[in-house]
Amino acid sequence: MAQLNQIHNEFLRQEIEEHIERPDERQRLIDNFVKASPAMQAISAALIEGEHRLVDQLTSEAIAAGTEALEVMDNGLIAGMAVVGIKFRENIIFVPEVLACARAMKAGMAHIEPILSASGIQPLGKVVMGTVKGDLHDIGKNLCNMMLRGAGFEVIDLGVDTSSDQFIDAVEEHQANLLGMSALLTTTMPNMGKTIEAFIDADMRDQVKIMVGGAPVTQDFADDMGADGYGKDALACVTLAKQLLGVKQ
Amino acid sequence: MTQRIDPEAFKLRLERISELFAGMVVHAGEQATERCPYKDRHDQCTAKFVCRNQRPAMQPGGLQGCAAQDGELEYRSAWDTLGPEKAAALRDQLRR
Repeated sequence: MAQLNQIHNEFLRQEIEEHIERPDERQRLIDNFVKASPAMQAISAALIEGEHRLVDQLTSEAIAAGTEALEVMDNGLIAGMAVVGIKFRENIIFVPEVLACARAMKAGMAHIEPILSASGIQPLGKVVMGTVKGDLHDIGKNLCNMMLRGAGFEVIDLGVDTSSDQFIDAVEEHQANLLGMSALLTTTMPNMGKTIEAFIDADMRDQVKIMVGGAPVTQDFADDMGADGYGKDALACVTLAKQLLGVKQ
Repeated sequence: MTQRIDPEAFKLRLERISELFAGMVVHAGEQATERCPYKDRHDQCTAKFVCRNQRPAMQPGGLQGCAAQDGELEYRSAWDTLGPEKAAALRDQLRR
């Protein structure tokens, strides 16, 4: 049985010592990290800290040094994210920290993507995501982005306060086949409909499937404004995205 | 670049990542019933919008503080200026 002190990385040892209480989880993490090289442990540690620039650098170096991409994923990125999941479940960290870790994971995955591409593995689809004009609430949309990326979609995130023109330009530029709009305020919900109308006016409505979501949005509202689908949360968003693009679930 | 990834092996990793993220999203939904999701572990506000619970930052240039008490305040009312009745009325109006 592997021991905590066999883990090379001091930060990881401290994280497990301080935050992981369940014996089964603790031992599983120890076993996994003891098997991982110091370089992979460093990637995990940087990801747990939400240090996206460091994850970017370390992953780039690992791939350049010939480390297998799947090893980077297993022993670096996913291993780190497993610790993040436990810390979040135990309310040691909260949504903003989780999103920072997801951003770090994305930075690491960016170095895996060329290898995926060379291996003939394509994203499930290209999704443009954004919170509509006048709305600055982005947590729900960011959780959707995290889930979509995790499921294998390429996500182009336009952020908050996104105008119809910005949505149209992004779909055109990236040749996206899916658009996701989010609104939290009842006062900004109509901007989803206006954006859909703008796609019709630009003769681009048939090029892209449109999904909408956000706390005040309902299926009826989505139907009324002519969206292709409504997702009540980030889990539903991924199911819907796959359904709209005909991806086998 | 000579590396190749087996599609089935990659699919297994995506499933693992999705499983991890799904657990986090479910927990985020539960947590949001009693704690503002924009509040970080240091009880600082990460929101890009104005909220009545925001308090001056402790450090110059740092994030603003948050005055909302977990489990006590209905933090969403500090974000949205419309009450549920007005929101429902607006939804009806939009549908018409």
